Amino acid sequence: MKTMNRVRLLALPFLLALVTALPAAAASLLNVSYDPTRELYQDFNAAFTKHWKAKTGQDLTVQQSHGGSGKQARAVTDGLEADVVTLALAYDIDAIAASGLLPKNWQTLLPNNSTPYTSTIVFLVRKGNPKKIHDWEDLARPGISVITPNPKTSGGARWNYLAAWGYALDKYGNNEAKAKDLVTRIYKNVPILDTGARGSTVTFVERGIGDVLIAWENEAIYSVQKLGKGKFEIVAPSKSILAEPPVAVVTKVAKKHKTEALARAYLEYLYTPEGQEIAARNYYRPRGPGAAAKYAAQFPQVTLFTIDQMFGGWAKAQKTHFADGGVFDQIYQAGR
Amino acid sequence: MKDRSASFPLLFSVLTLASVAFGGAARAQEPAPPADPPAETEPAATDETEAPKSVDERLDEIDQKLRVLDRRGEIKEEAEAEKAKTATFVTSGKDGFSLKSADGAFVLKLRGYVQFDARLFSDDRARPNVDTFLLRRVRPIFEGTVFDRFDFRIMPDFGQGTSTLFDAYVEGRFTPYFKVRAGKFKPPVGLERLQGATDIFFVERALPTNLVPNRDLGVQISGDLAGGRANYAVGAFNGVVDGANGGDLDSNSGKDLAARLFFTPFVKSENPALRGLGFGVSASQGTQNGTTAATGLPSYRTDAQQTFFSYRSDGTAAGTVIANGDRKRLSPQLYWYGSRFGLLSEYAIASQEVRRGAVAADLENKSWQVAGSWVIAGGSPSYRGVAPKKNFDPKAKTWGAFELVGRYSELDVDDDAFPVFASPTSAASSAKALGFGLNWYFNRSVRFMFDLVQTRFDGGGVAGSAVGDRPDEKVVLSRFQINF
Repeated sequence: MKTMNRVRLLALPFLLALVTALPAAAASLLNVSYDPTRELYQDFNAAFTKHWKAKTGQDLTVQQSHGGSGKQARAVTDGLEADVVTLALAYDIDAIAASGLLPKNWQTLLPNNSTPYTSTIVFLVRKGNPKKIHDWEDLARPGISVITPNPKTSGGARWNYLAAWGYALDKYGNNEAKAKDLVTRIYKNVPILDTGARGSTVTFVERGIGDVLIAWENEAIYSVQKLGKGKFEIVAPSKSILAEPPVAVVTKVAKKHKTEALARAYLEYLYTPEGQEIAARNYYRPRGPGAAAKYAAQFPQVTLFTIDQMFGGWAKAQKTHFADGGVFDQIYQAGR
Repeated sequence: MKDRSASFPLLFSVLTLASVAFGGAARAQEPAPPADPPAETEPAATDETEAPKSVDERLDEIDQKLRVLDRRGEIKEEAEAEKAKTATFVTSGKDGFSLKSADGAFVLKLRGYVQFDARLFSDDRARPNVDTFLLRRVRPIFEGTVFDRFDFRIMPDFGQGTSTLFDAYVEGRFTPYFKVRAGKFKPPVGLERLQGATDIFFVERALPTNLVPNRDLGVQISGDLAGGRANYAVGAFNGVVDGANGGDLDSNSGKDLAARLFFTPFVKSENPALRGLGFGVSASQGTQNGTTAATGLPSYRTDAQQTFFSYRSDGTAAGTVIANGDRKRLSPQLYWYGSRFGLLSEYAIASQEVRRGAVAADLENKSWQVAGSWVIAGGSPSYRGVAPKKNFDPKAKTWGAFELVGRYSELDVDDDAFPVFASPTSAASSAKALGFGLNWYFNRSVRFMFDLVQTRFDGGGVAGSAVGDRPDEKVVLSRFQINF
């Protein structure tokens, strides 16, 4: 009996420590995303939090982190404990999967290759289009100042680059040399490489630098509608790339945080009519037929090609163009 | 003309540079940062077949160049700010050397202290002692924080020719009023014992420290209450003998519970005379049983670290006294630090059930001390030592801080200990120590101490064929100390 009392006394500090360390009833989620999705996920998080509370009674806080897609992927790999990632391109999530934080078949775990919405690449020019910019070749003209971020750090920048390259391949009958020449001349006209898409928008819209911004369609519409109404115009090139920003649960982190089911529900909500409506309202092209039809008028008509069609997928495109010593580095070095 | 809403701040610069453009001078060639394409690729190229540029176009070009330069500066600043978020900060200063992550969640500090002493006995012909220089303490300290709320500390000691681990613990700071510490550290008993070894008034702690544990292994909960006006600590420990630094394993299954409640009710007061007042009580209780090989009983030492009391021990069951049951300690305590004066006082009672062969007793030893400090120049006393207002710097004619200290302490062994449990001719039944000293604080890290201490004993010696008093111990203790 005396021994039992002593054991209880000795256990007391551990018990108190355990009670203190127990998680609170409210849940939290960290969504690590790319640069221009701030407004999208502010809206979406508010809607999902309300939905989750109604469904489970649980209070939820969703934290957002934004930056260049490649940089964000490296942050997650280096230890930023994201429950979900919503990045600009599949290659960046593949890089996270390679570190073992989520399964390699992550893209099969949600519909549409885990891309609940799409976008494309367009041009944002100043009101009246004073430099008469209509298609990709206009960006290579002498005297044109082009704003685009750095493909080494920004997923959007890689889409921009590949959109130009794909256009050139299509135009010049898959002549790689001519495509390289066009893209080289475009990048010779780039005075500043921001680290992310939002940084380039700031450069063009707020700092007044450049004649044309190569931008995500959603970012371009957002700039026209919200940042400088009446000051800018969107120019749709004759051809562009179908940008598919994917989403995934970072399963290892979510398991550790005990948020796996919550994280999956969060991403699945993107596919619901409510989620699709929010995406469309934030100028992303919705996958769902209802929202797609409702918002069709806000998106310019562009002939789109996919990365698989033109480049054989992200892994190949990355290796050829953006790896150290790849085509982009050659273009960049040549320009120096 | 483009819509460039932010152009006004640049107008003056644009106009200044316009003269260059009108004069057809060579175009400005800004050196391009490594991350950007070269200046010649900027939108200034002209085709030979192109018509000459208008003034507006030339102004527009210059304006763009200036904007690009500004923006490059912004991007560079943003990159540096981003880098700073994940940078590791290396610092060195009066608190030692440290590495700290950008968010402060991970910290590693390298600290330590060295105490080089001289111990010189006077008038010790009747009981000769060795005058010696010694490295009293040589303690590197590794401490830090991981994941924001978990602190750790590792402190070995290489002084006096030994290598001993003193501190090795981890502490979780869950809230200010709830912290959990586990490992080896000071149990929350005593007052001067809980004060840092670099902060004490005298070279050695006073006699009451003999009756409280030094270091022990265990788990402790502690925290600040009422905005820091009260502090509590309670823990379970292996249970070391009085004054001992416990080993890594316990020698018996008995455990000690220890607790301390300490009040600093005026710690937030504007009145400096009240702010430095602190008082409290600490206690421990446990059951300890010794063996002839590990008796579980202490011996007591003077300022000069000479043993003046120990229990009988001849290696046999009949001739060796061992711990035999309950051990209790109680220590009311008080300190007060004003602008120039400091006072520290504590009382300690340690009782232990003992046995020698078939004879058992419950012995109660008592000790107390009163110590005072007068900082005669250059600083103010505190429980954490004196921080000089001006550091020692002969060129600037500043000399640090000087402190005079005085102390009286007594330790009284239970009369029932004699003669069965302790020899009256070799173990003193009481010690009374009076000491004075001077401390010179060169700065927060370097300190010189000089003490004169005389200790008188009752018993513990031989006078002719009868029990006599152990000769007085008169010792000069001095210390050079550096802590960082």
